[in-house]
Amino acid sequence: MAHPTQLGFKDAAMPVMEELLHFHDHALMIVLLISTLVLYIITAMVSTKLTNKYILDSQEIEIVWTILPAVILVLIALPSLRILYLMDEINDPHLTIKAMGHQWYWSYEYTDYENLGFDSYMVPTQDLAPGQFRLLETDHRMVVPMESPVRVLVSAEDVLHSWAVPSLGVKMDAVPGRLNQAAFIASRPGVFYGQCSEICGANHSFMPIVVEAVPLEHFENWSSLMLEDA
Amino acid sequence: FVSHNALPTYFLFASFTDCFSPSSKRQTEVRGVAKVEDYTLPAYFDRRESPLPDIKFVQQLSPDQKSLKEKEKGSWAALSKEEKIALYRISFKESFAEMDKGTGEWKSVVAGIFFFIGFTGLVVLWQRNYVYGDVPHTFDPEYKQKEVQRMLDMRINPVEGFSAKWDYENNAWKK
Repeated sequence: MAHPTQLGFKDAAMPVMEELLHFHDHALMIVLLISTLVLYIITAMVSTKLTNKYILDSQEIEIVWTILPAVILVLIALPSLRILYLMDEINDPHLTIKAMGHQWYWSYEYTDYENLGFDSYMVPTQDLAPGQFRLLETDHRMVVPMESPVRVLVSAEDVLHSWAVPSLGVKMDAVPGRLNQAAFIASRPGVFYGQCSEICGANHSFMPIVVEAVPLEHFENWSSLMLEDA
Repeated sequence: FVSHNALPTYFLFASFTDCFSPSSKRQTEVRGVAKVEDYTLPAYFDRRESPLPDIKFVQQLSPDQKSLKEKEKGSWAALSKEEKIALYRISFKESFAEMDKGTGEWKSVVAGIFFFIGFTGLVVLWQRNYVYGDVPHTFDPEYKQKEVQRMLDMRINPVEGFSAKWDYENNAWKK
């Protein structure tokens, strides 16, 4: 989750998300350079005392300001395409989880070995334990083993939702009647928060997603416990 | 036989109106010109990039100015400094320095901006007091402290963000 007054991205828990952070810095730097240059030119134009109305053409500067933006665009496009293809790499997930969006909660199904399924509702504000995060906590978390490739199949039961966890670099729309696949690897243990990212009705802001990445033994203990409870 | 040395026909016409048929020339002379609008006449302007306007600034000269104009036809060395300045002011409204000075209008604009920002602040204050209800109990200071402790325990953003700034050995924020 974000700390108070945080403006930038959350720290990445996924290698592709790290790449996205670096690409964002790169693109933002280019954008800031261009904006500063344009702002400087505007102030220079407005405050100049020079007056010459009769410049008709100038081939050199026109060549420069045609070639240079093309070069800048290539500099932005190459890392962008690289990350795009990186995200679509063939991966071999160890685990497949189905995340189904309902109005207004998520349900997770772990059906690789046994049939484990549970709903994940937001904890209402008045029921929070002291220190829990308002509008972000859920009663059941989606537990995944850390450092394992996980495939999440996202769909919806009623209306459009979107399963998003920024730290893991995942945002995938939940479309009724369609299975969308997202993959991630949690490179560090921890709890990662996200929120539904497609307007879905009155409680759209109140159906968060919590992913807990734990070592494999803990994951096995947890899934056994959940199966007993079910 | 065909003559190849015929002059181009436009050399035979003496004036522009001769290019038209004699009947259209007569119509123009009979009808006259349309009403002259102000914006079609030469106008005076003060512009740095066009230093010589089409007309003088003062069109109707007073008797003093007329006599000054007569004196201008003689030697300019005989003119005093005030007379030269008076002649300049007949031809031009503003000097270059006056043109470039600017109006100071920006001060009124900035004052207006500040005024409306202040007014908006008053409206917001009123709203907070009379319209909005209480914030949730999660904004209490003790609750916030527990939240911060929980975030540190959970190692939220440990790489460069939140938990990276906490010194876990000494239980204090990093200097």
